[in-house]
Amino acid sequence: MNKLAYFDTSHEMPLEIIMAAGFIPYKIMGDVHKSTDPADKYLSSFFCPAARSWLTEALAHSKEWAGIIFAQGCNNTNRHYDIWKLHVETPFLHWFGAPLLDSAAAKKYYRVELQRLISHLENQFDVKITAEKIREAIGKSNAIKKKLKSLSSLRSQKDIPNRDYLTAIIKCLTCPVEEVSTWLDSEITLWNSRPAFPSDKKQFLLTGSDITYVEWMDTLDDCGIRVVRDDLSVGERFFATLIPDRNDPLEALIEYYTGIPKPATRPTIQKRLDYLYQALQETKADGVLSQNLKFCEPYAYDSVPVNNALKARGYRVLHLERDFSPAADQQFANRLMAFVEMMDGGNNG
Amino acid sequence: MDKAKNSGADAGKVVLKTLPHSKDLKWPMLWWIGMEKIYRTLPWKKTAWTCAAFPIELMWIYDIFPDHPENMATVAAARKQSQRLIEHAEGMGFSRDLCSYCKTNIGSYDTKIKKTLGGISKPDIVVCTNAICDTHWKWFQIMADKMNAPFFMFDIPKWVSGTDEKTLEGNIDYVVDQFYDLMAFVEKHTGKKMSEKRLNKVLGRSMELSDLWREIFEHRKSVPSPYSGAETSAAFFPLVVLPGVKVGINFFKKILADIKTLTTKGEGTMPEGREKYRVMWEGIPFWYRMRFMYDLAQQGVVIAFEPYTYSFAPVKKKCLTMEETLRDVAKLIMDTPYAYNLERRIENFEKWIDEYKLDGVILHENMSCRPSSAGMVDLAEAIMRDKGIPVLILQCDMNDPRAYSEGQIKTRVEGFIELMEANK
Ligand code: SF4
Ligand code: SF4
Repeated sequence: MNKLAYFDTSHEMPLEIIMAAGFIPYKIMGDVHKSTDPADKYLSSFFCPAARSWLTEALAHSKEWAGIIFAQGCNNTNRHYDIWKLHVETPFLHWFGAPLLDSAAAKKYYRVELQRLISHLENQFDVKITAEKIREAIGKSNAIKKKLKSLSSLRSQKDIPNRDYLTAIIKCLTCPVEEVSTWLDSEITLWNSRPAFPSDKKQFLLTGSDITYVEWMDTLDDCGIRVVRDDLSVGERFFATLIPDRNDPLEALIEYYTGIPKPATRPTIQKRLDYLYQALQETKADGVLSQNLKFCEPYAYDSVPVNNALKARGYRVLHLERDFSPAADQQFANRLMAFVEMMDGGNNG
Repeated sequence: MDKAKNSGADAGKVVLKTLPHSKDLKWPMLWWIGMEKIYRTLPWKKTAWTCAAFPIELMWIYDIFPDHPENMATVAAARKQSQRLIEHAEGMGFSRDLCSYCKTNIGSYDTKIKKTLGGISKPDIVVCTNAICDTHWKWFQIMADKMNAPFFMFDIPKWVSGTDEKTLEGNIDYVVDQFYDLMAFVEKHTGKKMSEKRLNKVLGRSMELSDLWREIFEHRKSVPSPYSGAETSAAFFPLVVLPGVKVGINFFKKILADIKTLTTKGEGTMPEGREKYRVMWEGIPFWYRMRFMYDLAQQGVVIAFEPYTYSFAPVKKKCLTMEETLRDVAKLIMDTPYAYNLERRIENFEKWIDEYKLDGVILHENMSCRPSSAGMVDLAEAIMRDKGIPVLILQCDMNDPRAYSEGQIKTRVEGFIELMEANK
C-alpha cells in the first residue's frame, strides 16, 4: 500500500478519507537532522523552521508518495501551498480548505470540501470511496485513538520516558494502521510493566508549538521534566476525542474535526483553555511548560493570554522559545532545571 | 506624515511636486475624526474595530463607525511612536516575531496614548476577517477578550494557485452564509438592522470611490509619472475607512483633476527630465520612514505603481438582488491583490510591469507579514526571467524601526539602481 502524504500544521486532515481511498496517511514532519538549505532557497529564514524542514523533506521524497494533500493550517504556511505547487514533484496535490470556524456555515462548507477531496481522489486514483469504506476507516481510527489514550494515561503513573510517548504518536501519524494497532497492544503491556513514576521527576503539562523530534523530549527528561499531559497536535489532540457514530460517515467526520480541542490556529482561545483546564483537573501536574518554536506565530499570540490565564489559576508556567534543532541547548537546560528546582518549594493547582 | 519627506528641498536636490489638492486629504481625515466623536457621544450610535479586507461598507450600512487599528498603527509609526508601543507590547510577553501592527495597537491601547499619536478606544464590537492573514483574527480576538467586546470573524477560504471555478463558487457560498451570521451578530449586539435601501446607497458610493481610484491609476501609466507612491500611501486613506460615504469621493475627484492637468501638460511629479526609473513597490511602506520614497527620488526613481494601495479599490459591480450583491462582495473579499496567490501574483505583476512601463520592482519582504512575504523569491525570479528587469527584495518591517538598517538598505538600493541603469 502506498503512502499519501499530508501537510498539516495541526490535526485538520481527515485521515479517514485517505484511508478509505486505500492509502496510508503519512504526516510530513521533516527531519530535524537535515539542513533546510533546499527549502531555504524559496522560504526566508523568518518562516518557521518546521515548515522549512517539511518542504525539504518533500523536495527529497515526494516521488515516494502517491500525492500530497495540504490542509489549511496556520498563517505562516497557508501560502506555502503555491510554492510547493511550483517546486515539489508530485502527481497529485490537493488543497483541503479546513474551515477555521465550527459554526453551521463552517460545517456546511466542511462537507463541500470533503466531497471535493473525495472526487479528486476518486478521479486521480480510479477508486471508489464508499460510505462503507469511510465507516471502516473511522472504526480503525477510533481503535488507534482508544489505544493511544490508554497508553498516554500511563505517563503519570509509570516510568515512561518522554521520548517513548512522542515515538508512539509519530508512529501513529506515519505508519500503516494495522501495523500500529498491533504495536500499540504490545506497548500497552510493556508500559504497564514499567516501574512506578520516578520520585525525582516532576509532572508537567506541555502546551504550545508541536514537537516532532525526540531529542527535545530527552532534554526535558534530563531536566527532570516528565510530560504527563499535553494539548499538542502531535499529541493529545490526535486522540482526545473519538469520531462519533453517525449514519452518515461524512457527518461523523465533520462533527469530529470541527469539535476536537482547538489548536492556536483555530478560534477561540477560550476553547483551547477549556481543554487545558480539563487536562489539569484530570491529572495533577506540578507545572506547565509553554513552548514556542521560533517564528511560530499562532502559539506566540496565544501564549500571552493562555499563560496569564493559567497563572491566574495558580499554575506554575514556564514559557520558552525553542529552536528547531536536535542539539541540547545548555542555556535552556539551565533555565528548565532552575524552574524545576524552584518547584520543590511546594505544589500548585 | 513624515515631516522630513521632501528633505530634498536643499539646493540641488530633487523636490517632488505634490498635487495641489493633496492637502485636502485633511478634510476626509477630519470628517472621520469628527464622526468618531459624534458616534461615541450618541448612545444609539455604535462603533466597531475593523481590519483590512473586511467589507467596511457593511459597517456604514449599519450606521456603525468603523475604527481601524491598522490605520491607527500607521499613524503611530508616522508620529514616531511605534517603537515604544511595540516594545511595550513585547514587555507584556508578545514575541519580537509577531506583526508590528498588532503590537503597536496593543501598546497604544494599553498605554492609552492620544488619538493624534495613534491611540484607539474601545469599540462596541470587534469584527475582522482572515482574508489576508490569520494575524488579524488572532490579534482582534486577543483584544476583544481584553476589552470584553463581542467578537466576529469572517472565515475566508484561501484562493490558492490553481483554484477552479467550481471550488471558488463553493468558497463564495461559505462567505455568503457568514454574511447572515454577521447580520445576526450585529443585530444582537447593537440592535441595528440591515436596510436594503441603505445597502444599495452605500455600495453605490463605495463603487464610485473605487472607480475614481482606479481611474487615478490609469493616469499613473503616463510617462512621466504624475503621482508617486510617496503621495498615494497617504491619499488612499478614504479607501481604508470611508468606502460608502461621500467625503472621500470629493477628495478623489480633485486629485484626479490635478493629475489630468499634469498629464495633459506632459508633466510629472519629478522635475522635468529627472524621472529616470519607474519602479513598482510591493508591500506596505515603512511608515516610520516615509522619507525612503523621497530619497529614491533623489536618484531619479519614482514609485509609479504599488499593488498595496491598488488593492483597496477592487472593481465593484451594481447587482440587482441582495443575494447577488452578497456574492459579489464575498468574491471581492477573496480577490484582494495583496492576498493573490503566487500564480495570480506573477501574472498580474507582469501585466502591471508592461502597463506602467516599469524599469524595476522592489519587493518589501516584511518580517511582520509572512503571508505577503511567502513566495517572493519565486515572484522575483519569474519577473526577472519573463520581463528582464531587476528586482530588489528588501527585508524590513512596516512599523518597527528597529528592522530598518540605513546603511544596508542604501547599499542595496544603489546596487538595484545600477542594475536598472545597465538594463536601459
Ligand atoms: S510550528 Fe507554528 S508556524 Fe510552524 S507550521 Fe506549526 S503552527 Fe505553523
Ligand atoms: S502586516 Fe501582514 S500580518 Fe500584519 S496585519 Fe497586515 S496583513 Fe496581517
